[in-house]
Amino acid sequence: MMEMLRVTQLNKIYGGKVPSRALTDINLTIEEGEFVGIMGPSGSGKTTLLNLVAAIDTPTAGEVLLNGKNPHKLSKKELARFRRKELGFVFQDFNLLNTLTVEENIVLPLTLEGERVKTMEEKAATIASKLGIESILKKRTYEISGGQAQRTAIARAMIHSPKFLFADEPTGNLDSKSAKDVMEILTAINRSDRTAMMLVTHDAVAASYCHRVVFIKDGRLFNEIHCGESRQAFFQKIIDVLSLLGGNAHDLSTIRV
Amino acid sequence: MTFRQFAFNNVLRNKRTYAAYFLSSVFSVMAFFVYAVFAFHPDMSGGTVHRNVQSAMHFAEALIYAFSFFFVLYSMSAFLKTRKKEFGLMVMLGMSDGQLRWMVFLENVLIGFFATVGGIGAGLVMAKLMLLSAENLLGLDETLPFYWPLEAIGLTFVAFLVLFVVISMFTVAILRGNKLIDLLKGSVMPKKEPKASVLQSLIAVALLGAGYAIALTAKGLVVFVVMVPVTLMVIAGTYFLFTQLSVYVIRKTRDNRTVFWRKTNMLFLSDLAYRMKDNARTFFMVAILSTVAFSAIGSLVGFKTMMANDLAGTHPFALEYRALPGREEEAEEDVAEIARTLEEAGYEYEHLRIAMSGQPLADSDASVYTVKATEFNAMAAAAGEQPVELKGDESIFIYYKAMLTNVSPEPKTVTLKGGEELHPKGMRTSTVLPIFNDYYVISDERFDRMTQEAAETFHAFDVDDWKKTKEIGKELEMRFSDSSNRFFSIAYELALVNQQFGITLFIGLFIGAVFFVASGSFLYFRLYADLPDDRAKFGSIKKLGLTDGELKGIVTKQLAILFFVPILVAFVHGVVALTAMQNMFGRSLMSTSLTVLGAFLGIQLVYFLFIRTRYVKEVNPV
Repeated sequence: MMEMLRVTQLNKIYGGKVPSRALTDINLTIEEGEFVGIMGPSGSGKTTLLNLVAAIDTPTAGEVLLNGKNPHKLSKKELARFRRKELGFVFQDFNLLNTLTVEENIVLPLTLEGERVKTMEEKAATIASKLGIESILKKRTYEISGGQAQRTAIARAMIHSPKFLFADEPTGNLDSKSAKDVMEILTAINRSDRTAMMLVTHDAVAASYCHRVVFIKDGRLFNEIHCGESRQAFFQKIIDVLSLLGGNAHDLSTIRV
Repeated sequence: MTFRQFAFNNVLRNKRTYAAYFLSSVFSVMAFFVYAVFAFHPDMSGGTVHRNVQSAMHFAEALIYAFSFFFVLYSMSAFLKTRKKEFGLMVMLGMSDGQLRWMVFLENVLIGFFATVGGIGAGLVMAKLMLLSAENLLGLDETLPFYWPLEAIGLTFVAFLVLFVVISMFTVAILRGNKLIDLLKGSVMPKKEPKASVLQSLIAVALLGAGYAIALTAKGLVVFVVMVPVTLMVIAGTYFLFTQLSVYVIRKTRDNRTVFWRKTNMLFLSDLAYRMKDNARTFFMVAILSTVAFSAIGSLVGFKTMMANDLAGTHPFALEYRALPGREEEAEEDVAEIARTLEEAGYEYEHLRIAMSGQPLADSDASVYTVKATEFNAMAAAAGEQPVELKGDESIFIYYKAMLTNVSPEPKTVTLKGGEELHPKGMRTSTVLPIFNDYYVISDERFDRMTQEAAETFHAFDVDDWKKTKEIGKELEMRFSDSSNRFFSIAYELALVNQQFGITLFIGLFIGAVFFVASGSFLYFRLYADLPDDRAKFGSIKKLGLTDGELKGIVTKQLAILFFVPILVAFVHGVVALTAMQNMFGRSLMSTSLTVLGAFLGIQLVYFLFIRTRYVKEVNPV
């Protein structure tokens, strides 16, 4: 199997008057087509890890290899092109541009690339039907629901068929039904396109869709569990680790599936 | 902590948020104040400047005040928008509506007070600098010395305190309608897409097109008749151009996917529609005010050049002296004095002289002037004109060509009292004698033969370096000021014209500069209010793979449109207006005016580059 992401001895220290250690000696690999969740209590360094891996932030020490390339070694321009060709992003608050329609938001990465209009329209239509948002393509972002907005964001992240998708709390702003839809869509894309995915989340239900969940505590790797036969059992395992972490497992007890 | 302390601390400890608003206020106070320093300048009321110019200046001052009002009001509402969330929080903590208004009022009065004081302080420095530059750049020596402008300080202080108090009341009204939920959500709520009406867009095209067509086709005095209706049409057309047509055009490009979906166009154009709509009224105001400034400056410069050219054209000699009949003795002394002064100053000169003779007409009480051919030819040669060739009784009719007419008169054959006839064999115009009248050149023999009625004697001193004779001219002008004979120094007269127009021109340039810089700053402060949104937006698009170069490109294009569209519109308006004026005067005002307008565009460009660099840095921190 091909290795899509390799993180070796990654460290991040936030400078300032009182330097604080956000990540310590993180090692992680993600294979092609693998769907990995990153979990941990608030302030554990999940988002920092995602930011370092996606080259949004620079590490203090250590190396990140995305599909064999170190994004931190690329020039700014190369990095931008790398992002628009090989990476996809989904955010908690969707980050759609409300001056654009849904369709325009979806094709944005392709327009930046200078793609032909015809191709863009075809691709937008294909991905929209895959995600069930054909009917809202002409709508503006303030006219659609949160679930639709997140599906639009996923469509935008996937339209250029990236090799890697990063999702930062994609279900954080959604109701449970929409959250379920979004996770199922991500799983479906992961299966059909063999896109490697990295999901940072608080939500044990969302995490249970992953193949593997990595736990972080105080900036260090704490544990790693794999999905076995059933998602139900995997969810239970996740909850167990969370309670072990001293997280808020009891908060979650009401939403057992 | 009392309530008042709370309001004041809000301002004092939160300098960064308030900085933009404060600076824009300081700026408008400063512009107003510096202007007032000129308007109330003792030398302005002292008679050197025409009364009309002075009332025009006070009118312009009122205009600047009105502009300041909107300027401060808009910056204030932009500033309040960024603070909506804070207000929401305060309401949640139990602040009553009255208290909220009182707080905003107190804050504003505090900011207003310091802005007024700061603006006057900055204005004093600025005024000194501008007076200095006026002296040096426009050659206005010592006409406008620096003074202690108590009147201007008083006026500015009172005017702006009133302005800030009134505006605070306005803002209180702005805040009234807001629900708590809207306040808390702040500016997060997406705005509706700007709409434009097709009809009103068409009206814009029709009004502007018709206005231009009429202005450009009108000739002569018709220009004067159509001026007011055309101006009104163009003003209305400009309003619809910015509020409707621009938005409509952007929307239409949106439908054209090959354009709209090309590279960064999507990001740039979709935002632009909002920005256009938001700033339409500012654009309109800036465009109209700039047009006024453009046309005023353009015509002033044009007039000045026209007058200077005419003056230099009709006076080919450095110094001229006209002796009236019967004052020859005085003239002898004066002419000797002129010669001596020129010699003492070390100038090479040629003294030329024409004695005119009056010949009474047979059929009326009037008389015509005759001039000796040799004398005329000597002076014509010195002035660089063709000599006349006359034999026997031949004569040449020299006619005076007035400034604003192009009609050539008919050569008139006249019968003199003695029965002799002056029958000109040709006619021409000449600058040799500045008597602004027609006369006849006749041969020497005939001149000597005829009885002469004493008429004016004209002395000309031809100096190669005539431009340097200003001081001598001034000195002699003073000395001969009591004499009834007339002395004229072209260098000195030109300096006087320069002086008079210089002051008016300076004021025109100053108002123009104020409007330009004000509009630029205004747009910048508006942008500043949108900065957090823009930063967040570009941040997330960068994650999708927007390069720094592309980001810079988008920001540059947007800013360029905001900066230059109103000014280009004003430019086109101004050119049309000047062309119309040109048609009225039958003279070209264009080349000099365009130089001035070009200089303004240059200043605006520098300002734009400065703002762009700053904005790119702010929106995309490294």
